[in-house]
Amino acid sequence: MSTTASAEATRLLPRWMLVTITALLCVMVLVPVAYILLASLNSDVGVASGEFWPSSFSLDSYSRIWTTADLSTGIVNSLIVCAVTAVASALLGTMTAYVLVRYTFFGRLTILRGLVGLQSIPGTLMLLPVFVLFSSAGNYLGLTVIGTRWGLFLAYLTFALPFSTWVMVTYLRGLPRELEEAARTEGASTIVILWRIIIPLSLPAIVVSGIFAFLLGWNDVLFASVLTRPETHTAAVALQIFGSQQEGGALPVYSQMMAAALICAAPVVLLYLAFQRYLVGGLTAGGVK
Amino acid sequence: MNSRKLTALAGVSALALALAACGGGDDGGEGGAGKTLNVLIAANTQYPEEFQAWQKTISDKFKAATGADVKFETFASANDELTKIQTSVVSGSGPDVYAVGTTFTPTAYSTGAFVKLGDEEWQKIGGKEKFNPATLGISGPDEQNQVGIPWVSRPFVMAYNTDLLKAAGIEKPATTWDELTQQAKQLTKGDQFGLAIAYKDNFDPWKFVWGMSVQAGNPLVDGKTAKLQDPTVQKAYQTYFGWLTNDKVVDPAAIGWTNPQAVAAFAKGKTGYFMLTTPTAINSLEQGAVKGKWKFAVLPTVPPGATSRPANGIEAASILSGDNLLVADYSKNKDLAFEYVKLVTDQEAQLDYYKKFGNLPANAAALQTLSTDAQLEPVTEAAKKSVATPFTGAWADIQLALTNVAVQSLPDLSKGSLSPAQIDTRIADAQKAAQTSLDRAK
Amino acid sequence: MTTLAPPPQKAPPQDVRRKGVTERQRPLWLLTPGGLLMVLIILIPLVLALWISLIDLDQYTLRRWVEAPFIGLGNYVESFSSGLLNSIWISVSFSVLSTIATVPIGIAAALVTQNKYRGRALVRAVFLIPYVLPSFVVATVWRTMLQPDGVVNHWLSQIGIDGGLWLSGPRSYWALVIVEIWAAWPFIYLLSLAALQSVDHEVHEASAVDGATWWPKLRRVILPYLRGPVLLACLLATLNHINNFTLPFVLFGAPAPDDVNVMPMLVYVTSFQSLRFGLSAAMAVLSLVLIAIPLFIYLRAVRLDVHEEGGRR
Repeated sequence: MSTTASAEATRLLPRWMLVTITALLCVMVLVPVAYILLASLNSDVGVASGEFWPSSFSLDSYSRIWTTADLSTGIVNSLIVCAVTAVASALLGTMTAYVLVRYTFFGRLTILRGLVGLQSIPGTLMLLPVFVLFSSAGNYLGLTVIGTRWGLFLAYLTFALPFSTWVMVTYLRGLPRELEEAARTEGASTIVILWRIIIPLSLPAIVVSGIFAFLLGWNDVLFASVLTRPETHTAAVALQIFGSQQEGGALPVYSQMMAAALICAAPVVLLYLAFQRYLVGGLTAGGVK
Repeated sequence: MNSRKLTALAGVSALALALAACGGGDDGGEGGAGKTLNVLIAANTQYPEEFQAWQKTISDKFKAATGADVKFETFASANDELTKIQTSVVSGSGPDVYAVGTTFTPTAYSTGAFVKLGDEEWQKIGGKEKFNPATLGISGPDEQNQVGIPWVSRPFVMAYNTDLLKAAGIEKPATTWDELTQQAKQLTKGDQFGLAIAYKDNFDPWKFVWGMSVQAGNPLVDGKTAKLQDPTVQKAYQTYFGWLTNDKVVDPAAIGWTNPQAVAAFAKGKTGYFMLTTPTAINSLEQGAVKGKWKFAVLPTVPPGATSRPANGIEAASILSGDNLLVADYSKNKDLAFEYVKLVTDQEAQLDYYKKFGNLPANAAALQTLSTDAQLEPVTEAAKKSVATPFTGAWADIQLALTNVAVQSLPDLSKGSLSPAQIDTRIADAQKAAQTSLDRAK
Repeated sequence: MTTLAPPPQKAPPQDVRRKGVTERQRPLWLLTPGGLLMVLIILIPLVLALWISLIDLDQYTLRRWVEAPFIGLGNYVESFSSGLLNSIWISVSFSVLSTIATVPIGIAAALVTQNKYRGRALVRAVFLIPYVLPSFVVATVWRTMLQPDGVVNHWLSQIGIDGGLWLSGPRSYWALVIVEIWAAWPFIYLLSLAALQSVDHEVHEASAVDGATWWPKLRRVILPYLRGPVLLACLLATLNHINNFTLPFVLFGAPAPDDVNVMPMLVYVTSFQSLRFGLSAAMAVLSLVLIAIPLFIYLRAVRLDVHEEGGRR
């Protein structure tokens, strides 16, 4: 953004406050993160007795975890489902938002409100009905939805769509319409305008809504645990299976749990780092006053 | 009669397959070829490699016997499994065979979605006689309405530290709860504690309460009436909590322990008794400092406050614990399902399973071969003295209500005092929840 | 709601037409894929859930759920005697509290990363870690840290405080709030940062620090810009807190201590442990209605329809 030109001029707080707040927040975030890392290198006994700094280091859990929990399958599945969800929901969201922002029609306001309202529906309420719906698709239409990746994808896509659309609505509002209109007078169709003008111009927002959709899928345990089969388990489910296996006399395997947690978090953190520079620019929340 | 038609059909489909260039010839199995049987079993993170190897072995054997494939689905916890059962029941599709924990068998039965076993079905899996009779106790509400086929049993026992008991001058492990408390007091000194108990576990607490009550003559459910508000239940909770608050024979940290953490604590070798465990813990214990210095013992069977069991008391050493196999009513592969059940309940398969995972065979002959094992002797005894929990669809709720009493009492426990009045209020809540659920039971 | 739509419609179409697009060319069909999905996977299940809330669906009737007896509002009546009000209270107070606490943290974080300096990208990355960590990971980690003999109590004891129980009893409520705050403040941060970016450059220039007067300038010049976006962020964040199931479920397990028996936990236990699907659907519907009321008021109050005038120009 344009603010980068005169960095010092935009400093909003005195230096000492900048430093203190930044330091405090970093500590707040990094201590638990460091704990995960250290605990994954620690022994189970060490973690159990409340050690922060391990008395002995070992990379054992990182090699053992792959056989203990089916993480590799889970991560591959999660990556596929979430990536497709992210792309699809960002594109669908852009389409929907474009119409909502540029045109007026009966029920438009209802849809705008609905986009916020839909986010208040609890997942626990939807679980059984969605399952019933998906399984009846199997029984009556002969489509296997449950246990497939695309069943999960459909669910995530839909749940991500309201927020994705909302992000796009706020961004597109700020976009000047001159370019589109010029194109339109030259006879470009809506699709062409969307593809050639809107999508390239709103790339930052598309990235943001994509990332949010990705996170939604990556985080979900509830739906994934009933909509998947072993070969379509997501990383979250794999970790949950691992974490909640408590009966039957096994010793608590903290360090493997922490290693698994880190491994499951890594793709998302990397994804974020890769797209970081878009993230803030894409979230222009200026639409609401 | 239809065999010619079938052969023709098979021929046509084989041709179609060949034409579709899928490769792979007809393996000529016994009619199961090309079919897949889905089996739902508990995930095993304790022995992941053995678990995969076992799945492989069973699949191979099954393929050889029937020509069909087995696909295993796993669930993480009892909650997870219940969810799976419900969603499958509502949609009429899902796994063909379920391995269901004994205490959840009544719930599964109440959905009416599983095959009731008649003589014919029992014959298919090799006859009812091949099972240890005690394990059949929770297969159904009565002989005519059984759905569960015993697969493995995991009777609960306690483990004790032989060195610590000897050092405290205790000759043999306690057989009554009062004696246990007494011994625990002797064992508690310095950094050493008498008992390891998983107070925060979501499955352990109710087993103590149920056991003590049954031994005192109260089975908790009498027909359609819940009997939680009863002196026997009060006494049970008081004893159970009292170990921590009054007798102080448990590490205060135990308030936060789940069962694995209690295993870990006992494995350090500083605790006299580990109260509720199964043979599946053997490997974990052998890894700890307690290695070679521990033994199993049958849990006390004389209710607290008594020196002998009352006339109506039952000698319940453990809940009837383990897994039953249930065949789904909606399954299109019922014959294959029973083939699978037959396969995994065979003597050989059962012994193999025991060796890999420490689950006792439900197969009588297989169990017999283990009776010579001294280490297991208390466990096989507990298996024989296992008593089934009430067979009602409401049991899951009752179990939850009993556990909830413990969950809500933890803060008071940590403060070190829990008055009988507080316990009574919580029992009253549990009674209400249990009765509501029983009223709905059909 | 829809009846209110026409008035604001009038101005823009003229505007549009003037610029050469006729109303007939509105590409409304672009709404169909998204709309279809939402109807199919959100609205139909929602209607199904409403219907389930009116029938006596439990383990005994589950198999033939279509034939489950219709009991009207019976489930709704029963839900009030099943601890619903208490759970709603816990949920709402927990969510509002978490939101209130995250706002200053989020805004402060946005302010300190607004101006460019060496290593800012790194700091921004760090700030987002809690948000991008999957919530089951966050919950697993904090559960381990907050165990009675875990690392938190270990530290507390070193400075002479007896930590006690974090995962049971009254303190579990605060454990839930703390962990939620830790995990959720970057959301506010992100939206505040985005809002700061849209503040005009000249305003930034004018409000740049020139000594001790940062606070009045911040308050009068910058913060007003943040009000709208942050309000929306608060709303979305509160909704997320209320519906957060993973965090309490993994932190405390089921049955949860009474102090953290939040709505999603109650609904989950009622449906998937007690197998009372009808009852749990009724509870969820009731809580949805309760959430919807303030939401509706808010949505009516803000002008969601700012058509052209928002954003940068």
